[in-house]
Amino acid sequence: MITIFRNKRDIPGDKEYVELNDVFFNQNTVLRLDEKADAIIEDIDDSRLVGKYKIQSKFNGVILDVDCLSTGCKTVLNVLYYPDRVFCLKECGDNALEVLYGLEKGAVYSDYAIIPFEMNEVMVSDSKGTGIISDYEELKEWWGGEE
Amino acid sequence: MKSKPIVMDHFATVHTSYVLDFDFTNNITLLTGSSATGKTASFSFIRECMAVNPDIFCLNYQDYQKDIKKVVSEQSGKLIVIDNADILLNDDTRKYISLDDKNQYLIIGRNPKNLFTTSDNLFELVSEKTGEQTKFRLKKYL
Repeated sequence: MITIFRNKRDIPGDKEYVELNDVFFNQNTVLRLDEKADAIIEDIDDSRLVGKYKIQSKFNGVILDVDCLSTGCKTVLNVLYYPDRVFCLKECGDNALEVLYGLEKGAVYSDYAIIPFEMNEVMVSDSKGTGIISDYEELKEWWGGEE
Repeated sequence: MKSKPIVMDHFATVHTSYVLDFDFTNNITLLTGSSATGKTASFSFIRECMAVNPDIFCLNYQDYQKDIKKVVSEQSGKLIVIDNADILLNDDTRKYISLDDKNQYLIIGRNPKNLFTTSDNLFELVSEKTGEQTKFRLKKYL
């Protein structure tokens, strides 16, 4: 399950925080893309990976550089391929969030609640420690809680 | 927040097979919605128009190192288009934008905090295919 931080100061010192998902993807994650990325790209962006650095656009079928993926899709792929980092969650749409919340591992940060309606268990981490939440309302409450 | 657009109530452009046909009904339009609907692609088409249209000013994550509030406050009479707004705009800048009566805004993001927006300001992108062309329009969100 993924781990969620609501405060930057709770992110452990050995975990790098990445705010610019586009830049990180274009410079790093792109080099790690493999068959695991296919389903995610199809699911979120309705596009197909047709080469190591190429996708087929859903709009008109033209072949585009993989940097044209949505920021939400890039965020999910960043989390998938770099579970040792913490990525900004704020630019994910609902379709990306649903995939993100279903990942087996990885970590994200947002200082306000961003939750898909259909959610699995997540690990939350704050100054009080860690815990597991599997309920939408409970997670929303955690996010709104003061430390 | 309900206020009429002060720079333009319509924007249209063409980029190869893509057509943008946006109607603005408010001075602040928050363009939101699912990932991969064409928001950032639309941004890139609008940004291209900066080269020929002096009324347009665009910002995105590549401006991350800039003082966005200062940059915005130096503009006048522009449609200011901001992609990646959820990471570019801090609370202070959002408050400034909400009160700015010199410019109009198209903000691409999901967080309406401190923009004092209502459902009247929220839009999503819809696309429709006609032949080989794809047309993007704004549609009220929710």
